[in-house]
Amino acid sequence: MFSRKVIKEESPRIKELKFVLRRIRENPLSIAGLAIVIFFTIIAIAAPLLAPPITGRDPYMIPRYGYSPIPQPPSPENPFGTTQGQYDLYYGIIWGTRTAYRIGILVVVASILIGIVIGALAGYYKGIIDEVLMRITDIILAFPALILAMALAVAFGPGLDSITLALVLVWWPAYARLVRGEFLRITSEDFVEAAKAIGCSDFRIIFRHVLPNAIFPLIVMASLDIGSVVLTAAALSFLGLGPPEGYADWGQLISLSRNWIIGTAQNPFAYWHVWVIPGIFLFLFVMGWNMLGDALRDALDPMIRRR
Amino acid sequence: MATNLRNYVIRRALLLVPVLVGVTLLIFAVSQLLDPYMRASLYITDPRQIRNIEAIIQKYGLNQPFYIQYFKWIEQVLQGNLGWSQSARMQVLNALINYFPATLELALYAAPLTIIVGIILGKVAAVKKDTAVDHLLRSMAIIGWSLPSFWLGIVLLAMFYGGLGIFGPGRLSTWAEALVLSGQFKTYTGLYTIDAILNLNGAVLLDALSHLVLPVTTLVIINVAVLMRVMRSSMLEQLNKTYVIAARARGLKEKVVIDKHVTKNALIPVITLSGLLTASMLSGMVITETVFEIKGIGYFAARAATQLDVSAVLGFALFAGTLFVIANLIVDILYAYIDPRIRLG
Amino acid sequence: MVLNDDEHLRIKDLVVRFYTYEGIVKAIERANLQLKKGETLGIVGETGSGKSVTALTIMALTPPPGKVENGDIFFRKSDGKVVNIIKLNEYELLKIRGKEMSIIFQEPNAALNPLYRVGEQIAEAIFSHRLKEMLEKAIQRIQRDIKDGNGGFAAGLELWAYNKMLENPNSISLRFVKGLPIIKNIITRRLRQIVREEIVELLRLMEIPDPYRVVDAYPHELSGGMQQRVVIAIALSCSPALLLADEPTTNLDVTVQAQILDLIMRLKQKFGASVIYITHDMGVIAEISDRVAVMYAGNVVEVAPVKELFKNPLHPYTKALLESIPRPGSPFKSIPGAVPNLVNPPSGCRFHPRCQYAVEECKHKVPVLIKVSEDHQVACLLYGG
Repeated sequence: MFSRKVIKEESPRIKELKFVLRRIRENPLSIAGLAIVIFFTIIAIAAPLLAPPITGRDPYMIPRYGYSPIPQPPSPENPFGTTQGQYDLYYGIIWGTRTAYRIGILVVVASILIGIVIGALAGYYKGIIDEVLMRITDIILAFPALILAMALAVAFGPGLDSITLALVLVWWPAYARLVRGEFLRITSEDFVEAAKAIGCSDFRIIFRHVLPNAIFPLIVMASLDIGSVVLTAAALSFLGLGPPEGYADWGQLISLSRNWIIGTAQNPFAYWHVWVIPGIFLFLFVMGWNMLGDALRDALDPMIRRR
Repeated sequence: MATNLRNYVIRRALLLVPVLVGVTLLIFAVSQLLDPYMRASLYITDPRQIRNIEAIIQKYGLNQPFYIQYFKWIEQVLQGNLGWSQSARMQVLNALINYFPATLELALYAAPLTIIVGIILGKVAAVKKDTAVDHLLRSMAIIGWSLPSFWLGIVLLAMFYGGLGIFGPGRLSTWAEALVLSGQFKTYTGLYTIDAILNLNGAVLLDALSHLVLPVTTLVIINVAVLMRVMRSSMLEQLNKTYVIAARARGLKEKVVIDKHVTKNALIPVITLSGLLTASMLSGMVITETVFEIKGIGYFAARAATQLDVSAVLGFALFAGTLFVIANLIVDILYAYIDPRIRLG
Repeated sequence: MVLNDDEHLRIKDLVVRFYTYEGIVKAIERANLQLKKGETLGIVGETGSGKSVTALTIMALTPPPGKVENGDIFFRKSDGKVVNIIKLNEYELLKIRGKEMSIIFQEPNAALNPLYRVGEQIAEAIFSHRLKEMLEKAIQRIQRDIKDGNGGFAAGLELWAYNKMLENPNSISLRFVKGLPIIKNIITRRLRQIVREEIVELLRLMEIPDPYRVVDAYPHELSGGMQQRVVIAIALSCSPALLLADEPTTNLDVTVQAQILDLIMRLKQKFGASVIYITHDMGVIAEISDRVAVMYAGNVVEVAPVKELFKNPLHPYTKALLESIPRPGSPFKSIPGAVPNLVNPPSGCRFHPRCQYAVEECKHKVPVLIKVSEDHQVACLLYGG
């Protein structure tokens, strides 16, 4: 007789995970992206250490070093200088990182949760529920994000919470669509029929079978979205719909810099620190997350495609 | 074959109506977030009517249930009454019409440039996959896509206008503006570059063009990034397909295979994106227009937002939404024109 | 003499590897094959045996990330010259593909570009290789038309264009004219007519009942069988001496399968071509092949004339294949085990894990094809291979 060897294979999930990690490691862009993201995360977490707040005040309000509108260049007291109204730029940037993360994470997580609920309902129960929910998402998606967010923010009134809420309302449809698509695809596969046949409850099917498979595209989308959300939030702040002046928010800081890009007659770049520094931080933050999201998408692509 | 296309167009055009209704519903829903006093601004045509605010509320049923309000509002919208804009000091509809040419001019140059450059770069990146050129283009794409548009605009302004004194903000220099507003210059379209050509005035043409350089560059840099990536991945997807091997097997030169077969198929998803891009440009690049002080509808909306001018912002959103829906329709038709398979569906 | 007089194609020690993310796939390891002029060589094997890759490599169209690492493919062109496909440059390959050899694919729907009409895709092949012939016909027709007084106003221009295309296809004046859309259509009117008639004739030859409808149809408007006929039409449009058929009927309905098979064989007779027919269906092999090559996991394991193979299979894999053909009344016999992973193929003979005759040596020594009798070769240590 011929010999039979029983080979113990690793569980498929572990294999997939290792595969993904290796692909991420091999991609230089992802390393750079990861480095940038880690850098910003550290800053956000260490904000109270890096830029100690003044006791008794809201830490997100930037301390002022005077009232003159003319920005002052970097000095030992203000490492990045001050911007219009003598707000300390360094403090604003550091705590602005926290603001950026707050908005980014809040909006993305909330959108995902809402998206999962609505997408699951639509995809699982189909029929009328699906139609209605999908029409709603279609209409919201018919608008450019910034414009709809603007309209909502104006209606809510300016403020950080206002733009957060506006962004959540604008962002969830994309996730709902994604989840619904995955649901439709997976529930049409045979193993779900089989599970139903042996009597698995709906809930169990959703949790054990559908969600784990839908995770990958969701992760990719979320990581790519953090950058977009923060960008859009900054744009809204720039327009004055965000937190009030003096709040540690990058968009706010950039809008304060608008009057100073011309500089003085002698030196056109006299106030460079005012518009260069906040912009660079915002840009790097977004780029870091975009690179990471991109790398994740490339790495998870065979898994997404394989289906 | 032609009837197939025509039927498809008719079918899609009919779908337009319910979607537009949906758009209005959404805007209406947003307006409901405001109290009746604020909502009144959506109906008045003259600021003096504010004094009679109670009458307005009665007339348009601002205290009554949704459906009644909605129909009254739609009635007004269809008659062209989008309310009064305090920030622009004119009726919203008039403001939109007034400010639109500036946006149109910007989009006129930015959109085709973005699309053409994006397609070419995407094609090059795909054909030269994994070479230095490809990596360079992809890095540039990520940078372009991550740049905050307002910041890029500010940086460019600082460098060129602040640093070199050229390419200033606005649409025209003061002398050109004075000339245009005077009787000697006939305004046909409101697009200064076109009008300058029609007036055979080279100086104004050059001036208008020079003011367009930076905003167009900003828009192109940011949008080419997205387009290029889609084109690249679309081409890569096609390059693996059997019909490409089959085309080579017929003895066709690689150049012909790429240009004739692969590119046409790869363009399909790109067309959707290009259409959406153009639509978003036409609905006013809010940030770019603000930074460069180009008085288009985006600028109008941004200023309205800053001053919490709700009727203006909502009117603008309605306009933008409608434009997008129409743009989607056009894109779908283009799609069906290029890909015969769609016409059956 | 690398090629015997009666040989049309010879593959010698071919090695093809695919460089993928998951590792290097050793798709074809030292394959050896000969094709005699005018014969039908059947290549049979399971999925993953390397048969499709072989066909594509013969046309120098190995799909990336595949690379030919080693080996030669000697081919005798219609003018008698023998070339090595592996060593040809792109320009020479362009002249061979479609003209000296062509290929029919497994999925006819995928092999046609969905955005272009079918007739246009056939025309591409004709324009690539038979342009001269078509131009001469067009010139004849135009001269006749002019004599009959049917010239039309642009006749002179057309005549000039055709003559120019004959003598100097790359001339600047031609390129300029080609760039003007309406003019281009006017001056190529008769040429396009001629090509269109040629295509219709070709489709008729494919036994397509309404060729005029099919010529202007898009691929998705045709049934699978019809699409495959179109693909065959493209393949035969320039009368190639060698036809590669990669499982052309696998994806078609059973009834259509028989028709297409029949068509291919009749066309082979008509055109006098040599055919390499790839399939996993032993029944088809038995019906149409003159000789058969059996492939397993990237190796050619046995080659013999068809009757000999069925009567006297030598390689254990061949035997197992024949035994696994379902017969009414007898129980199902399948080959134990699974097709090996080609990133880490089994050592020695790749079939040894599934072979009931395997001995210790089989794990270490790679068998080579040796001649066992007149026309029968096998690669198995049992026979000294």
